[in-house]
Amino acid sequence: MDGLDLLKKDWKNQEENLPHFEAEQLYKMLHKKSSSVVKWIFIISLIELSFGILLNVFFMDKQFWNEVDSIHLKTATIVIYIISYLITIAFVVFFYKRYRSISVADSSYLLMRNILKTRKVVKYYILFVLISSGITMMLFYIYTLLYTPEISKNLEEIGWISIIGIGFIAIILFLLFLWGVYTLLYGILLKKLLRNYTQLKNLDF
Amino acid sequence: MGLVKKETEHTFVKLLEEHQNIVHKICRMYTYDKASHHDLFQEITIQLWKAFPKFRGDSKFSTWMYRVALNTAITLYRKSKRKPHTQDIEQFNFKIKAEEYDDTTEQQLKIMYAAIRELNDIDKALVFLYLEGKNYSDISETLGITEVNARVKMNRVKKKLKNILSA
Repeated sequence: MDGLDLLKKDWKNQEENLPHFEAEQLYKMLHKKSSSVVKWIFIISLIELSFGILLNVFFMDKQFWNEVDSIHLKTATIVIYIISYLITIAFVVFFYKRYRSISVADSSYLLMRNILKTRKVVKYYILFVLISSGITMMLFYIYTLLYTPEISKNLEEIGWISIIGIGFIAIILFLLFLWGVYTLLYGILLKKLLRNYTQLKNLDF
Repeated sequence: MGLVKKETEHTFVKLLEEHQNIVHKICRMYTYDKASHHDLFQEITIQLWKAFPKFRGDSKFSTWMYRVALNTAITLYRKSKRKPHTQDIEQFNFKIKAEEYDDTTEQQLKIMYAAIRELNDIDKALVFLYLEGKNYSDISETLGITEVNARVKMNRVKKKLKNILSA
């Protein structure tokens, strides 16, 4: 008997040992792609949050607070930190909720709505990071200029407007860089979500 | 709107559940352990779902399924080829056993399965369809090659397997 024919016979017998998935498991498989993308969004946001906290723990020593106090920004800094942490935590919680609901979503319609919501919120999140960083940096820049005597003396000679202008441009450049990093970080995931969304939408023939 | 999608999804899952054995068998052909079997099944499910709008029903669902699922397996197999090759312990065992050649049917089958694993992606697909009892016209249609080409390739595979067996 030819080896292949032997195999052909055995192949049929093998069918009994094949695994079997129930419909419910198959539904879940259809939605797993998006759920894993959203899971990554959630994980990255968590890493970001913990990284930020760690950075602050290292930098916020006595000297930092003395310096902040000397430029009259102590209260403002505390308020900014509390607000930004609260907002960031709210975003992280939201991403977690999206992740949960996408992984259990049992219809493509619900999934599509979830994808759209997640995309929108990620964009808000990036906007929040950029705006809050911009405002904080501008605030610190101006207050440092105002309340550091050695600097403010020299400022008279160079001129206020040009100094603020230069600082403003530097901050904008930094924000652009930050925006680039975020677009790269989340952009790939957002694109994947969008692709998944389009596929689901195309099913509506 | 949502209702149409839900119905489409429902139809798809029902068909997939009914014909899932095809996908499982392809997974057996292209993977070596349970985890990658599951991964490939998942990937094929997604590809089938993506392609489902293009399925018009003028061919049988199973025929269409063979084509999409095999293409997915072949594509992924090619991608994984770029990664460094790690040899499966089980496969290694087969090799040893092949060397101390034993004539029992069981043994021969093991060697055959091990030999098939060594085949390239397209040849694997050919053998798979052959084992599934497909004729050359079906095979050529599923793999998108001519019938003559399918026959020639299959003969080559048979020879290759024979060589492996007698080596």
